Amino acid sequence: MQDGISATGSLLAVAVGCAAASVWLLLPRGESGAREYSSRRFGTLLGIVALTLFVATGHRLGGIGEEATFLVVALVAVVGGAATVVTRSPVYSAIWFALAVAGVAGVLLVLGAQFLGVATIVVYAGAILVMFLFVLMLAQPTGMAAYDRVSNEPLLSAVAGAVLLGLLTLFIGRLSAGPATCCAVPSKAKALAGSTTPVAPSPPADSTGSDPLAADHVARLGGELFGRHLLAVEAAGVLLLVSLIGSIAIVSRTPAEDGAGLVARRAGP
Amino acid sequence: MFDLDASTLLVLVPALPLVGAILTVALGRLLGPKAHWPAVVSIAAAAGVAITLLVGLGREVLVGNHGESGSAAPVAFEQIQTLWQWANVPDAYVPPADSLAIDLGDDLVAKAAGRPASLPFSIGIDLRLDPLTAVMLAVITCVGLLVAIYSIGYMHDDPGYPRFFALVAAFVFSMAMLVAASNFLLVYVFWEAVGACSYLLIGFWFRKPSAAAAAKKAFLVNRVGDFGLAVAVFLLWMTYGTLNFHDSAASAVPGILGMERLSDPTGYVAGAVGTAICLLLLLAACGKSAQLPLHVWLPDAMEGPTPASALIHAATMVTAGVYLVARCAPLYMACPEALVTVSIVGATTALVAALIGTVQNDLKRVLAYSTISQLGYMFASLGTGILLGFTAGIFHLVTHAFFKALLFLGAGSVMHAMGGVIDMRRFGGLRRVMPITAATFLIGSLALAGVAPFAGFFSKDEILAALHSRGWPDAHAEHHGEASHDAHAILEVPSRPPFRLASDRRTAATAGGIGHDGSMAATYRTLYWMSLFTAFLTAFYTFRAVFMTFTGPTRVPEEAGHHAHESPPIMTGPLVVLAVAATVSGWLLFSTHSLADFLAATPSLACPAVAATATPHAFHLDLAMQGTLAAALGIVLAALGYLGRRSDGPLMDRFLGPLGSLFANRFYVDEIYAAIIVRPLEILAMLCAAFDRSIVDGLVNLVAAIPLAVGAAVRRFQSGLMQRYAVAGVLGTLVIVLALAWSLRA
Amino acid sequence: MTPAPLVLDGLIVGAMLFAIGLVGILARRNLIVMFLSAELMLQGVSVSLVAWSRHHGDWGGHILVIFVLTVAACEAAIALVFVLQAFARTGRLDAAAWQSLRESNLPRVVDRELPPGDAVDMKFPTLTPAGVEPAIDEAAHLQREHV
Repeated sequence: MQDGISATGSLLAVAVGCAAASVWLLLPRGESGAREYSSRRFGTLLGIVALTLFVATGHRLGGIGEEATFLVVALVAVVGGAATVVTRSPVYSAIWFALAVAGVAGVLLVLGAQFLGVATIVVYAGAILVMFLFVLMLAQPTGMAAYDRVSNEPLLSAVAGAVLLGLLTLFIGRLSAGPATCCAVPSKAKALAGSTTPVAPSPPADSTGSDPLAADHVARLGGELFGRHLLAVEAAGVLLLVSLIGSIAIVSRTPAEDGAGLVARRAGP
Repeated sequence: MFDLDASTLLVLVPALPLVGAILTVALGRLLGPKAHWPAVVSIAAAAGVAITLLVGLGREVLVGNHGESGSAAPVAFEQIQTLWQWANVPDAYVPPADSLAIDLGDDLVAKAAGRPASLPFSIGIDLRLDPLTAVMLAVITCVGLLVAIYSIGYMHDDPGYPRFFALVAAFVFSMAMLVAASNFLLVYVFWEAVGACSYLLIGFWFRKPSAAAAAKKAFLVNRVGDFGLAVAVFLLWMTYGTLNFHDSAASAVPGILGMERLSDPTGYVAGAVGTAICLLLLLAACGKSAQLPLHVWLPDAMEGPTPASALIHAATMVTAGVYLVARCAPLYMACPEALVTVSIVGATTALVAALIGTVQNDLKRVLAYSTISQLGYMFASLGTGILLGFTAGIFHLVTHAFFKALLFLGAGSVMHAMGGVIDMRRFGGLRRVMPITAATFLIGSLALAGVAPFAGFFSKDEILAALHSRGWPDAHAEHHGEASHDAHAILEVPSRPPFRLASDRRTAATAGGIGHDGSMAATYRTLYWMSLFTAFLTAFYTFRAVFMTFTGPTRVPEEAGHHAHESPPIMTGPLVVLAVAATVSGWLLFSTHSLADFLAATPSLACPAVAATATPHAFHLDLAMQGTLAAALGIVLAALGYLGRRSDGPLMDRFLGPLGSLFANRFYVDEIYAAIIVRPLEILAMLCAAFDRSIVDGLVNLVAAIPLAVGAAVRRFQSGLMQRYAVAGVLGTLVIVLALAWSLRA
Repeated sequence: MTPAPLVLDGLIVGAMLFAIGLVGILARRNLIVMFLSAELMLQGVSVSLVAWSRHHGDWGGHILVIFVLTVAACEAAIALVFVLQAFARTGRLDAAAWQSLRESNLPRVVDRELPPGDAVDMKFPTLTPAGVEPAIDEAAHLQREHV
């Protein structure tokens, strides 16, 4: 197991490196023409490699990547998310975001969160995304702006993201090695050297009616929500109201300031 | 009632001016225009006490001597008064086995056996009373009193009025202690003290840059001499194991000028160490008494107030060097080379200063160079190494104090009347304006020139006689032989004061002694002719000054304003008193031989080595004639040139030619010193300043620059771009988590 | 107890989405894309929460995700208002337009000159106009008598 850990560690490191490189290549860096195309192609390739390696690491660590359905929707989500981030045009970015949301909804459904899967699509893709598009309509200059073609610190950002992902993968993978490895510090060595805890069975059968996988999922969710979390629901409602009023209040001050409407092309600070 | 014995009176002489000085400092501002009272009263009291001591001691020594032994032989007198023990470090010094500190020669070997192997460093505040001290005290306090009275008028409107009198009183205290001290350490302390008082008085008007510079120059040049004195003191300690003049019963160590050592013919070190000590003491004397090569400060010291010049730079402080050499006569007697050096230095200085004085146009400068010249005479006399030479030197010191103080005070009177102008080319014919000053100045000039029967004649004649007797020893041998019976000192060692030095068969055998040694005769002949020529020059420049100032058509410069009248009585009073002294003192002291005999009773001069050399007094008509002739020649030449201001100098300039500019530029000594000493020091100072600025300050600035640089580097991260801030934050968090993960791994 | 593989998968996906969203916020300068990336991060969190909820077998994660959704909506609304305000002041949606809090001795960061973009203006085929275009009443479409 220890050898496995170290081999997995190096695999993880390679995966992190590939991921960082691919993200960096994919991010807009102010190139154009053939250079840009080759960067993007190479970046995509590396990204696929990185993804594979991450999955392999997770698999080695704890049996990840075994359900095919899940794999597909997960792929959609991740690819959509990646595309959101690296696309030059913000409109395309928004469209890719929609795809990512769809993928996330799929993941949620596979995980058994029926209501949330649908709610995600409704709220994100239906409401939030449309709002973004409206803003883009109001505020987008013609043609590609310079700031869309240049990233801020691409290398550092890519490295940061990749390292974060590597760490998270490591920790998530460790979870599968047994409860002892999760948080106990001194006994970690013993635990790793000692046992090979078998994979635990699926969560215990529902006995108290709080199992999300039961048949009447939404009803139970509603009961839970308006039962135990009634106060939070009401607070959320108030929050929505406040944000509505707040946004109107902020917007209504703008014309008084420069008197020329929203489109004032003053020089920046 | 008060116990007014000699020891108490001796303590009073320096103590009273000290009290006066302290009172003036404390109450000066309060007293305002009356601030002179504490100082004048205290100095007057000290003068009274000093004269009492002098008269009492004189009576005791002279009459007692004559009465007891039935001959005119002097008996040494000293009386020591210890005020308190200042330092006593037992076992401070272990002298080598054959050191003179413990072995005083064959006769006293027995005593040496009983001496301790290690000597203590023991310094007490010891005052001594002996003839030399008594004479010096009287001169210091009397001239000090007259100068203080004069200053009441001269410094009348000066804002620093109290300060001046405090300084004069402090000076009188320091000088009195210097001449009364009985160990070398005290002498050194008060040597410095008089130097400090001189500095403060020269720089009295310290806001004038030239005065401040002159004060600094005086102090620094004196410092060179003080260095010599310090090293001499060290050598004396190492050689003799004590710094006391007197034998100290407590520590059983014979003093350097104590009776035990004085009576021992081999009691003093000769050779390299002895000559070194003597030459270092000579260096100190040159510094204080402004002899070559340390004479440069005295002419500049004329920046100070004229009364200060009269007191310090004419009568008293500059005579400290003469006093020191006279006091250390036995030391010099053991080193003939040092003696002749003293004479050479003295005579050369006299000549050079006289030459420079002939072309000066500033009246006070003339008098300054005259002082240097006369001091040179005194040293020339001391360096002859015969009793006559020593007593003549001190005699000249006394008379010089009177007439030089008189001349300076007269110059001050002129300056006061002329509104601060002292350049002789700008005024003339002042005898009509200031008759009393003119008369007294004339008397002083006659005394200075050495015209009979004024004071300078006798003292200068004795000096020339001393030089002559060394230059032509054969001519004096006969004379000496006749008077030998009178001359021999019968010296015995008593067990209690007054001491008498032990007689010795060897004393008679060495009656030939140094005084009749013909080896240096050629040198002394040269010195004699130099001195004679200097006498001529002295008369010349003195009367040149007199004629330029007081004869001819009356001219008064504009600065005089309404001041151009005779000085008030408070200023002319001292002038008259000094004029009387200058007239009669010479004749009085010489005709009775009182001073000479009195001085011969000083232990330093009564020791066999000195006393056996010659009579303490002599009068040779032929030498007197030579001297008078030289003086007359000088006066006549000055009259030809300047009487009635017929010519204002072009005559002499044409006569002297390039020599005149050499004299006028003071033989370029100042320039040489500036180039050799001052300039390199300035360069060194600039280098040090540059080092300090660049390296020392640079280092400090560097240390300060480091945080600045670090800050500037770090500041570049604050770009205002929030995404960069976010990147930094995320990276930082990741680093922490990574570290945590690393520490939590296996 | 060890989580099920599905849960672990879910956690991985959530981590990936989160990391990708993080990169987007740090790297992209367009304010809209930044906010989209933020929403991506929230989605990643949602996935993780649901996965944990599945692992524990209770509703905690679900409930939290509902509230996350709510808050995301509010946040998006207000954020977009601010984006429009920023656009009104500077004329562009650039995060790097705001630099006034920099150190006073630093110069303003300006983009380097970029080569001309490869997004060519699309040239759509056009027909020569035939006939006469009707005059357009500018104000007509603003006031209609019927909706």
